[in-house]
Amino acid sequence: MDSDSSNIRLFNVSKRYGAKYALKDVSLDIKKGEFVALMGESGCGKTTLLNIIGCLHPLTDGEYFLDGENIGEVRDDYTLAFIRNKMMGFIFQQFNLFSRLTALKNVALPALYAGTEKGIREEKATSLMKSVNIEDRASHKPTELSGGQQQRVSICRSLINNPDIILADEPTGALDSKSGIEIMEIFIDLKKKNKTIIMVTHTAEVAKYADRIIFMRDGKAVNNNYKLTSNY
Amino acid sequence: MKLEIIKMALESLLANKTRTILSMLGIIIGVSTVIAVFAIGQGAKKAVDDQFQGLSANSILVMAMRGKTESSKLKTADSKVIVENCQHISSATAVIQENMAVSFESEDGTFGILGVENNYFEMSNIEIDKGRLISEEDMDNNEKAAVLGSGVAETLFLEDEEIIGKNIKINGKTIEVIGIVKETGRSMGKSSLDDSVFLPNSMAEKSILGSKAFIMIFTIADDVENIEIASKEIVSSLRTEHQLRDSQADDFRIMDAGAMVGAAQDAAALMSLLLTAIAAITLLVSGIGIMNVMFVTVAERTKEIGIAKAIGGKRGDILSQFLLESVVLSMIGGVIGIIIGNSVIFIFRNTELITLAPSLIGIIIGFSFSVLVGVFFGFYPALKASRLDPVDALRSE
Repeated sequence: MDSDSSNIRLFNVSKRYGAKYALKDVSLDIKKGEFVALMGESGCGKTTLLNIIGCLHPLTDGEYFLDGENIGEVRDDYTLAFIRNKMMGFIFQQFNLFSRLTALKNVALPALYAGTEKGIREEKATSLMKSVNIEDRASHKPTELSGGQQQRVSICRSLINNPDIILADEPTGALDSKSGIEIMEIFIDLKKKNKTIIMVTHTAEVAKYADRIIFMRDGKAVNNNYKLTSNY
Repeated sequence: MKLEIIKMALESLLANKTRTILSMLGIIIGVSTVIAVFAIGQGAKKAVDDQFQGLSANSILVMAMRGKTESSKLKTADSKVIVENCQHISSATAVIQENMAVSFESEDGTFGILGVENNYFEMSNIEIDKGRLISEEDMDNNEKAAVLGSGVAETLFLEDEEIIGKNIKINGKTIEVIGIVKETGRSMGKSSLDDSVFLPNSMAEKSILGSKAFIMIFTIADDVENIEIASKEIVSSLRTEHQLRDSQADDFRIMDAGAMVGAAQDAAALMSLLLTAIAAITLLVSGIGIMNVMFVTVAERTKEIGIAKAIGGKRGDILSQFLLESVVLSMIGGVIGIIIGNSVIFIFRNTELITLAPSLIGIIIGFSFSVLVGVFFGFYPALKASRLDPVDALRSE
């Protein structure tokens, strides 16, 4: 793989809790605009890998290059928060929206942390919500939305600061199959907009939307270039 | 940005109204207490000032020994003994005092009855408003004549009523009103001078108060510098007059103006200090309450903190959000405390129970303390929240 065009490059990355390795010598390249699925059994290290890529976890060993910059040794909270805020967007299985805030304010929250002016961030949030057809739910609280709508709000939130990388942890895990397909269609649109998507999933039905699948077992990437024959 | 975070803090506080109100209670009580303390302190100072207003720095007061009024030989005539025998005393006047019921027709009330000498008014800077003051003749003839304080006149008589020459009753005795003095706003002992009836002390002692009434003799030294020597002269002349042997203690006590004001101010300051200590303890306890509530809040919202960190919230953002919550909590408590404290002052300031004077310093200090409590006790929970590991926080339920 051509590492120059890599958006994300991990080299022998390990993550250890005490004596136990959650990740062991994982090396991979993910190109800009690539849609990658992480698959494997529970406890194989998929989410740990996603958290390391998302700068939520410090790595124990190895190197992590983001757009060519080695950020594996960065421990400064301000820099890590900046990377998470500007360069990445997170999407969670349980949506993780703030229950007290309206859908619009949830979407705009990362922009608030980025210091964007209120008018601009709300305009951006409204436009994003329009693009996934939930603009009429802007003033509703998360509890007043369906699972599919909440996940769309969460997707809009991940995009508000226009990051290059989208990290999704089981994004369809809490949704019915119809809503799941709709979310995957949004992901395909994002890929077309040259966003790098890294998605943890259990199901082949969802993984088939990805360009390739990285299979993991016991903290190791056993196959990082698997492709399902049937595609979207 | 900050405004938005303040709004979020308010929304979070409103989401748990009962807890917010309960945790504010301590601050409310603390700030109300601070405000009340200052009002009581100011009130006590004002009461001391009122009591001793008009008392010149070279005044010396002679009284029967505390609790020994009956066994003391101090009598009204001692004022003349003091003036005659003390070289450094320029004037002296005796006052006997008791509270009694006074009536005019169907109106009545309890007022201070002051038996005074004719020079009392001049020495106390009390001026006549209507009629005349007590004269030497009134003294000599034991006239049943009364000069009323302005408050007594207002209570017993109608506004436009001709008062001079009317007969009032004190302890069943009929006394003619000969004058009304101007409002002074001062008090003597427990009685307000405005709510007092002044009688010639010879008549008052004989016909109304009897010989057991509380006796005071006001004297004026010829110079402030001579207070000490004048006091010694008084002691010497009264001991001779009372025929006390060397082995016997004085049956009277002497206080000069400085000592009187100082003692009263010390008592007022001590009371303020005690109340301030109570207010400080209340605020400390309320601060611990806020800290406790903030820890519970942080524990409850651990997942929220994880999400905020995942979407780019910096430690500073989390710290300021939780800190602002505790500060907003304590500030609202402070404002409510100010309102309640001042309402209590407003209610009680017009009663006889206690002298209260509203104090701006009390409000400023009370409010500042409430904010300080919020910052101080909110900081540690907020710091703990900001340092949570994002992945651990996200995992919590």
